[in-house]
Amino acid sequence: MAGKSAFNPYDMARAQFDKVADLLDLDPGTRELLRTPLREYAFGIPVRMDDGKVKVFRGFRVQHNDARGPTKGGIRFHPQETADTVRALAMWMTWKCAVVDIPLGGGKGGVICDPHNLSPREQEGICRGWIRQLAKDVGPLVDVPAPDVMTNAQHMLWMLDEFEAIHGAKYPGFITGKPVGMGGSLGRTEATGYGLVFTLREALKELGIRPDQTCASVQGFGNVSQYAIELYGQLGGKVVCVACWDQADQTSYSFRKASGISLEELRSITDRFGGIDKGKARERGYEVLPGEAWLTQEVDILMPCALENQVTGDNASGIHKRVRVLAEGANGPTTPDADQVLKARNVFVIPDFLANAGGVTCSYFEQVQSNMNYFWEKDEVLGKLDVKMTSAFLAVSELARRKKLFMRDAAYVIAVNRVAQACKDRGWV
Amino acid sequence: MEHEAPRTSPGGPSWVTPFDRRFLAGAEPFTRIGDGAIGGKAQGLALIRERILSGLPPGTFDGVEVVVPTLAVIATDRFDAFLDRNDLRGPALSDEPDDRKAHAFQRADLPAELAGDLRALALQLRSPLAVRSSSLLEDALEHPFAGVYATKMIPNNQHDADTRFRRLTEAVKFVWASTFFREALAYCRSVGVDPGREKMAVILQEIVGRRRGERFHPDIAGVARSYNYYPTGHAKPEHGVVNLAYGLGKTIVDGGTAWTYSPAFPKAPPPYNSLRDLLRQTQTAFWTVHMGRPPAWDPTRETEYMRRLSVAEAEDDDALRFLVSTYDAGADRLVPGTGVEGPRLLDFARILKFDEVPLNALLRRLLQLAEQAVGAAVELEFAATLDPREALPARLGLLQVRPMAVSEETVEVSETDLERPEAVVAASFVLGNGARDDLADVVYLKPGRFSADATPAIAAELEPLNRALLEAGRPYLLIGFGRWGSSEPWLGVPVNWSQISGARAIVEATLPQMSPDLSQGSHFFHNLIGGRVLYLCVPHEGSGSGRIDWDWLDGLPAVAETDHVRHVRTPVPLRLRVDGRGGRGMVLRDERPAADR
Repeated sequence: MAGKSAFNPYDMARAQFDKVADLLDLDPGTRELLRTPLREYAFGIPVRMDDGKVKVFRGFRVQHNDARGPTKGGIRFHPQETADTVRALAMWMTWKCAVVDIPLGGGKGGVICDPHNLSPREQEGICRGWIRQLAKDVGPLVDVPAPDVMTNAQHMLWMLDEFEAIHGAKYPGFITGKPVGMGGSLGRTEATGYGLVFTLREALKELGIRPDQTCASVQGFGNVSQYAIELYGQLGGKVVCVACWDQADQTSYSFRKASGISLEELRSITDRFGGIDKGKARERGYEVLPGEAWLTQEVDILMPCALENQVTGDNASGIHKRVRVLAEGANGPTTPDADQVLKARNVFVIPDFLANAGGVTCSYFEQVQSNMNYFWEKDEVLGKLDVKMTSAFLAVSELARRKKLFMRDAAYVIAVNRVAQACKDRGWV
Repeated sequence: MEHEAPRTSPGGPSWVTPFDRRFLAGAEPFTRIGDGAIGGKAQGLALIRERILSGLPPGTFDGVEVVVPTLAVIATDRFDAFLDRNDLRGPALSDEPDDRKAHAFQRADLPAELAGDLRALALQLRSPLAVRSSSLLEDALEHPFAGVYATKMIPNNQHDADTRFRRLTEAVKFVWASTFFREALAYCRSVGVDPGREKMAVILQEIVGRRRGERFHPDIAGVARSYNYYPTGHAKPEHGVVNLAYGLGKTIVDGGTAWTYSPAFPKAPPPYNSLRDLLRQTQTAFWTVHMGRPPAWDPTRETEYMRRLSVAEAEDDDALRFLVSTYDAGADRLVPGTGVEGPRLLDFARILKFDEVPLNALLRRLLQLAEQAVGAAVELEFAATLDPREALPARLGLLQVRPMAVSEETVEVSETDLERPEAVVAASFVLGNGARDDLADVVYLKPGRFSADATPAIAAELEPLNRALLEAGRPYLLIGFGRWGSSEPWLGVPVNWSQISGARAIVEATLPQMSPDLSQGSHFFHNLIGGRVLYLCVPHEGSGSGRIDWDWLDGLPAVAETDHVRHVRTPVPLRLRVDGRGGRGMVLRDERPAADR
């Protein structure tokens, strides 16, 4: 596993935890338990490649904490995967599940590989090999994987098939992110983006702002962003700028239209990586600006829905004074330095692990449906999702108001406290 | 025809508080979900709150609490979103049968921005809900769409929230679908409204009532009108009229038997020849929300969770003794209450005759306030519960207010006019007021072929004739036997409004074996009045004055003919005169020579 020097997400995750542990005045035993994963698995996955040679890939699974229920988290296929990234992400999953109050713990897994350079058969070999190594340590009542970076529904089905073959029975609840009709849940595609906007809607209510009198700028044009734009538009909001990565130019651009972007129009000129065609966008009246321009637009709402570390201490001062809300669709888009600037500017931040928890919440719904082998209508999924997200938001904002905490700190306090309490109730600490 | 959204401000009903996901526990009992219009019925309820109840300070009527039951309105923007995102506009306006449309709506997804609100409501509420239509055009003064759209009552008492949520969403989708049911589309077309422009808000409202075992219903449901088209005895039209029934108001709006009285003379019984006659016409069945074992699942049926029961099944209800009198056969008199054995008469005696609850005085005051607020004659729908254990304090929920169309046109038809030889129809009992000279088409039931057991078949035969005449843009005169629109086939032809919606004048001829009272409370009749359809009642020979010239009609060549129905066309349009004040009407053929016309 390759190491990265400058930014270590695990250090950041632990620093965040330590701060909250101080706020909660956690005892040393609980701190020690929660700042490190309960279990870590690292293993080799031998795969016979298409050229006949055997290659061994490195696989991982980290189960950070399962006091509140089976661990849950994605499996990433990435050439630069690191153990510390996986540990940090597993810990964040624990907090995310806890803040929306679903009965799951946090986990994360991965394989060091680049699917772009692998045939489908080779990818299938990795998926089945990953399961063979972990078949006894994962499962619907133990640890439930899901798609993540560069993994998709096909990978999940290969893994499910292997798991069921080993255990000799059908376990659709073992894994989530399955296609609809093969155990997947309706509403899963929309869940993260919609969940983001459910929390945004509540934040606007709290600030006394009508959604139809706001405009927004969004970073990213993938699944989360597109569905967030869709629902935000349905509530009456207007998105005036979208930024996305251009695969050919290996840089990002912002696409601006003061009268409001058209989601359908942009979708029609978007490649399979989520990149918008610059030329066609210009023809349709969009201004094409540098990638960072999305952040400095004169809007009421910013929605970073792409990558981590996008709003930093360096660029946060460029945020327009009109901005009232920053809703984090991506994981970790805002650095602690930037948080200080946002606090000083009185920008209402909806922290990532609350704002983008719609995805894991709907994964949990999928798991429940799969375990029952009974599938809900989309109305039911989205209705439950809305109520879950709204309840979670209200709990966090109420605590933030009552204890005069920054929203991110309030969310952490609720999440960590719930997990700590579960550990205590079980008699672990 | 251009229609304005009734009393809706252009920017949406911002004056109605947004739904905060706390229904009964919220500070505001009248909220909205969404930013579109809230529809005519909800506007009416808002009017009641703001302009009518404000004129009725608490305690004005001792022991009676008057409220608009708690409600949340799903505004029309959610309806638009539902149609557009599920591509339902095409199927909705198609000729598909109602059940197919209802099914397509059930399969479609709720707008994401609505699902959470409904889920939150289902999570917290475990008592029955009325899911009611409130369309833009509904209750507009010109065309009251009363009863055209669906209302669904749901028990909402299932143990788990998932089931409550599903039943609630099914009911909302059903009401949305009813915007495009055959009857609704026909109504729109008959009054010149483009059905594609109609929008439907949906009211989710607490049902006024009490639970008794597997039943949930009010003790009294009623419709009060400030203008009476059928005054009897000393009553005058402007005294108004009230219909009361036991159970849900569906009994009245469907045209079932109810107790009818004049608010000016609450103690006067309806005009029957004898007590025995009165007993034969009393309410014997009532509607209730079924709270027991779930019925067969059928989200596309309006009465899925409703039951029609015999009043005898409510014999042990503590409130019933305040609502009925018992016939003492030995003395041939009525005894208030249920203290003695005998046939029961639902005459609300202890309330109307003995004033144990000041219901009549309250209704008179409400009608007065409502007329002032609306600026026209009005109709009020209400439901009330009594609490016999607490010296009868009542809770009265106002469910709807709508303006009545009262024609001011002066038409005079004298007794001698009825004797004119050119009168094809002469009637001494009419509904509505006005004149028309444009009816050349007559659809009538063949007297020689008519029988009570054929009435369902007749309804089916009328539908294609009506459709053809509607499509040809030809208004027509309809002549038949018994009560039109009766829910009971042995009392008349059980048509729904869409099956005869092109008729601009209707004649109801009674037969010796089929002589029911006209049903004033029904939506069917309200639509006739609202649609300015003129109505003439011709009693059978020997029972009153009036006649129909069947020979002349039979002498006209048939344009179309079925087993029981004949469609003829007169060479010159007929002249129709209905004198609402005098209570007489006639249809005249033109016997002048062609040169004089």
